[in-house]
Parts: sequence; structure tokens; C-alpha cells
Amino acid sequence: MFRLQGSKVLAVDMTGDAVKAKNGSMVAYDGQMAFKKLSGGGEGLRGMVTRRLTGEQMTVMEVRGQGTCWFADRASEINLVSLQGDKLFVESSNLLATDAGLRTGTTFTGLRGASQGNGLFTTTVEGHGQAAIMSDGPAVVLRVSAQYPLTVDPGAYIAHQGNLRQSFQSGVTFRTLLGEGGGEAFQIRFEGDGLVYVQPSERNTIAGDV
Amino acid sequence: MYGAPGGGPTVYDPMTLPVDDNVNKYTFCVELKGSQWFLQKGKMIAYYGSMEFNGIGHGRLDRLVRTSFHSPLHASDWVVAEGSGKMLLADRAFDVNSYDLDDGNLTIRSGNLLAFQPSLALKQSIVPGFLTLIGTGKFVAASNGPVVFMEPPIRVDPQALVGWADCPSPCHHYDHGYMTGVMGGLRAMTGLGGASGEEHQFEFVGAGTVLLQSSETLMAEQATGAVPQEPGIPGSGGPFTGPSQPGGAPRLPGQLGDLQRRFGL
Repeated sequence: MFRLQGSKVLAVDMTGDAVKAKNGSMVAYDGQMAFKKLSGGGEGLRGMVTRRLTGEQMTVMEVRGQGTCWFADRASEINLVSLQGDKLFVESSNLLATDAGLRTGTTFTGLRGASQGNGLFTTTVEGHGQAAIMSDGPAVVLRVSAQYPLTVDPGAYIAHQGNLRQSFQSGVTFRTLLGEGGGEAFQIRFEGDGLVYVQPSERNTIAGDV
Repeated sequence: MYGAPGGGPTVYDPMTLPVDDNVNKYTFCVELKGSQWFLQKGKMIAYYGSMEFNGIGHGRLDRLVRTSFHSPLHASDWVVAEGSGKMLLADRAFDVNSYDLDDGNLTIRSGNLLAFQPSLALKQSIVPGFLTLIGTGKFVAASNGPVVFMEPPIRVDPQALVGWADCPSPCHHYDHGYMTGVMGGLRAMTGLGGASGEEHQFEFVGAGTVLLQSSETLMAEQATGAVPQEPGIPGSGGPFTGPSQPGGAPRLPGQLGDLQRRFGL
């Protein structure tokens, strides 16, 4: 059972079950805990190779035991996501912890990934349970529905879940080349039905200055 | 429907997002209804609806720029958003707040200003690195930590100053007892002998309001643009016209001439 203690510490109450968390993110625990490094994110050999190849590396540990375990990472804000059979797409660097029952994997994101400066691949989390994602400043959760598509700055995007189509919009014109661009030359447009998480801060992206 | 049942984060959609108000301390929502806003490049994080972002140099915006943008060489850092929908603004996870000006004026550090309504006119301040907003309307500014409002007379730390409204007298203040004489000069230059780091302040007197942030972290300065190279314009580097400045070879900073003046020789 995941809960937030403040906004920057995740507390997980466990009764013999397990969670997967970013390596080294445990800050305290109470009770009996065993920590085990999971090579390749617990995705088996194939996952390990995929992650190595795609650069979506994450070092994950499995925490199992009884009691409460607290996680935090560089005072990042933590956001809880509950999954009911749907899929969460998140950058591996923004993923803090997941229920052990959730499956993680990698997926190709194409140009969107490139525009975020995070590479061409992203991490997926699937199944029933909870996950905790990190952001620079508390994330704003925005609902996308059929009549309300959403457009997001790639630098502020951290995750999305649900049944969403994303398309990449580029506003690069000759003005951009003249240095007169609108400052938002690259955008991701989400359509469909789901949630998008954005952080109140922009990563440095190649599109940041055009 | 995806949502967080009980205790999860609030999920916003275009109906529940506030109108021209803060979503949380770090995110501000602006509603556009066919209207326009000026914003600093790259501070939009997401939007619903249809919007267009155009650089100030866009020909169609000439008229707007003529009436509410008077910072010509600073133009490449600003864009105009227009369209309809709701737009979220944020800046490096700093606190953001909106302020209303009612036929007033406010001068703000250039890096702190995020966005403003075109009913305000933006001008370069005579004080280098600051911008002045004049008129009636709303603007959004970022600060490191919440902003506090103070009444003059007041002396403030240069790094904590965000801006000021209606006070015409921003000036430097030095603690003279500490800064003069040979020992004072040495202390100021070397920091040895107990420089407190607070010998220099900005001073405001008169009627008005001074805005301070609750930390001394400066936001990255946005270039306000060069000022015309004319005599008498601060920061222009223009030629000196008065006879007071003895001509001669340009001195390197830290050369003896500076020392002499510092020590009152």
C-alpha cells in the first residue's frame, strides 16, 4: 500500500509482499526488509538486453518484507498513480517505485522521445496496482478526453496513462531559422482518453530555444 | 474514465482548471478567449484548445507590439499566445503568482516576469536588468519562494529584490562605517576581517510597495536588450560627454586607479 508522507517521501506498508523501487532510493524502514538488486529491472534476460540497447536503463531493487519502507530521491516531488489494467508510460528516470505485481517494459516513442531529450524509448508499467513517479515540482494531472485534446511541451511532460494517441507537432518555420520562433516549436498532442502528468518545470531539450 | 479514487492527486480538465489563477503554487492557468497574452519563451507547459505561439517579430502582431511592447531588442525572448483555451505556465518549479495592476506601474527583474496581458505596456527600465510594466491588467511573475510585500522606507538585499511598484527611488546604499578607509576597503575586497556580506543594500523611500522573494537565489537573468548607444543612458556604454571623467587609457578592472579611489586616496 503506497502513501505519501509529505510530498517528497513515499511510504510503503508491506505485509510480506514486495515492491520494485529505484536502486538506492530507500531512506528508512521499519520492520523486516530484504533488499535485492534486480538486474535488468526484473524483466528477465530479454528485458535486460532491450534496456541496454535502448538506453532506457534503470537499476531496480526488489524490497520484500514486513513493515514500512520509506523511499525518496533527491527531494523530487512524488506523485502516486493507480493502475487498473491500463498502461503507464513514464521515463525511467522519473519512475521511483512500482508494485511488484506490475509489469515493466520498454517501448519506442519515436520523435517525441527525441524532442524530450530522453532518447527514443520510454518505460511502460502495466497491470493492477500502484506506481510512484517523480517530478521537478508537483505534477499537474490533466485529463484528456475526446472533446478535449491536450498539447504539452516536451520538456514538461513526465508521464501519461490510458488509451492515448500522441502526435508530434512541429511549428518550425522559416521564422524559427531566423531566430524569430514562437518558443514552442515542438509540442506533443495527446488525443483519446486518459491522463497526462506535467511538471512545472522544463527539462533542457533541443527544442528549448527555438 | 481514469482517475484516482480517494486521496489521489486532483485531476484537472478544461472545466475544472481555474481561470487566470494558480493551479498550485508552481503552476498558473491562463484562459484565452480569442485574446492574447505575452509570455516568455518556453514557459508554456501544456494547453487545451487551439493556440498559436508567434514570435514578436511576426508581421501580423506589429500593431500589438507597437502599443504594448517597448523593449525592442529584447523581443526575441517573448512570444504572443493567441487563440482560445486554457494554458498552463510554469518556470523551473519556482513559485508563480499573478498580480493586478490598476493604472499603475511596476518594475520587475527581467528574469522573474513570465507573462502579461497586452493591456499592460512593457518597457525597459532605466535600471539595467529590470523591466517596467505600465497600465491596467494582469501579469504573472515567478520567484524563488513566496513573495512578500513591503512598504518603504526599506533597505533590501539586492538578491532578494524582485521588483517595486510606484516607488521612484531605487538606489544603492552602503554601510559607510564599514566600507571606508583602508581597513574597510580591504574588508570589502577580501572578505577578511568580518565582512557580513550585507554591507550593500538597495534603498527605497517614498510611497509604494517593494516585492521581495524569500530567498537569495537569483533567477537566470533574461537579457533585456541593449539600450541605444547614446550619451546619458545608463548601461549603454555610450561615450562620456562630461569632463568629469578624466580621459586616458582604459583601465582594467582592479587596476590601481580603482584601489586608490576605494581607499580615499
